[in-house]
Amino acid sequence: MHDARDAEDIRLLEAGEIGLLIEGYLGVIYDRCLVKVRDRDQAADVAQNVYERLFGELKRGRRYRVPFRVVVHQVIKWKVQEYFQSMRYEEELDDWLLGVSTDADTPIDSDARFDALLEGLTELEQTVLRMRYEEDLDFGEIARRLGREANAVHQIHFRALAKLRRDAA
Amino acid sequence: MNEATAMLFDEFAVAYRRGHAPDVLAYLERAGDEADALADAIDRFLVAVPAREPTEEEIVLMQARLEQQPALLVLRHRRRLTRDAVVRTLVSALGLDTSKSEKVHAYYSDLEVGVLNPKPVDRRVWDALAGVLNANVRVLAGLRPPPPPAPAAVYARMSSGPEVRRRMFGVSSSAQASAERAAEEPDEIDRLFTGSA
Repeated sequence: MHDARDAEDIRLLEAGEIGLLIEGYLGVIYDRCLVKVRDRDQAADVAQNVYERLFGELKRGRRYRVPFRVVVHQVIKWKVQEYFQSMRYEEELDDWLLGVSTDADTPIDSDARFDALLEGLTELEQTVLRMRYEEDLDFGEIARRLGREANAVHQIHFRALAKLRRDAA
Repeated sequence: MNEATAMLFDEFAVAYRRGHAPDVLAYLERAGDEADALADAIDRFLVAVPAREPTEEEIVLMQARLEQQPALLVLRHRRRLTRDAVVRTLVSALGLDTSKSEKVHAYYSDLEVGVLNPKPVDRRVWDALAGVLNANVRVLAGLRPPPPPAPAAVYARMSSGPEVRRRMFGVSSSAQASAERAAEEPDEIDRLFTGSA
């Protein structure tokens, strides 16, 4: 069922036609992201992350022992998981921030300012959280501004929130 | 999965294997409470069968996001058409006075770079654009623009549109044309692009 497609993928890869190779999977990338995320804008964001990861890998000369379609589906799976993970952390952080906000009934620690909250983080982690929560930037834009890969920004964000959760506990 | 959901899955799968691009979200909506079951079945199906060909709109959307350019602009470049050529076709297809091409040009430019709200644009404009650009132009124009390099409104009001466009996309301003069309009595061209006359 996949033989013709796999052969064409090998041909494109050998010809260095990376863009065309990934373009052939754009439809299924969008479809699977939509099935999982169920929001067109968010799905387009995840699909872009998939594309950029695949493109980056191939551009660096990475080759695989499995058909390229297998790689595509695995990257979709990971990027969708990453999306839900970041959503979950955002919800947790929202809950936490709500807990120390002026709307909350709970007593407010005078040190519960955003600056104080970030004190234990590295400068880079602080920058990412400020861009995310003070400037309301998406991860793509943060990555662009910092001159880093979106994946790297996700990792920094993940690490920073993990530290905050540890501190809060 | 109940029988109705199985039939929905079958409908989706057949359309997909015939080379169409069935709208995943539309199917999930139709499934109602069974959306999760249908989503699971569709996802497993998509992994198992050869990928369908991407639509032109999907390719343009990805290219637009990667290049942080408006989708309509990317589409026109892919077609190797100048803005003037698109406007000439529009004027002709809509049966407009050729002496008002400049006004159509200004409106089309705003639409192309995402500073004109596409919602009230008349269907005849979309049809004419679809004819010359050979894609679902309405869908592409309505997509969320990529993040701009500087904070700016997505849809600027007519008076601020050219300035926002200049800041967002670095294209030459059609401020004079905009000012002129704002000062004039609304006509057929205004109605076609803004819904007001």
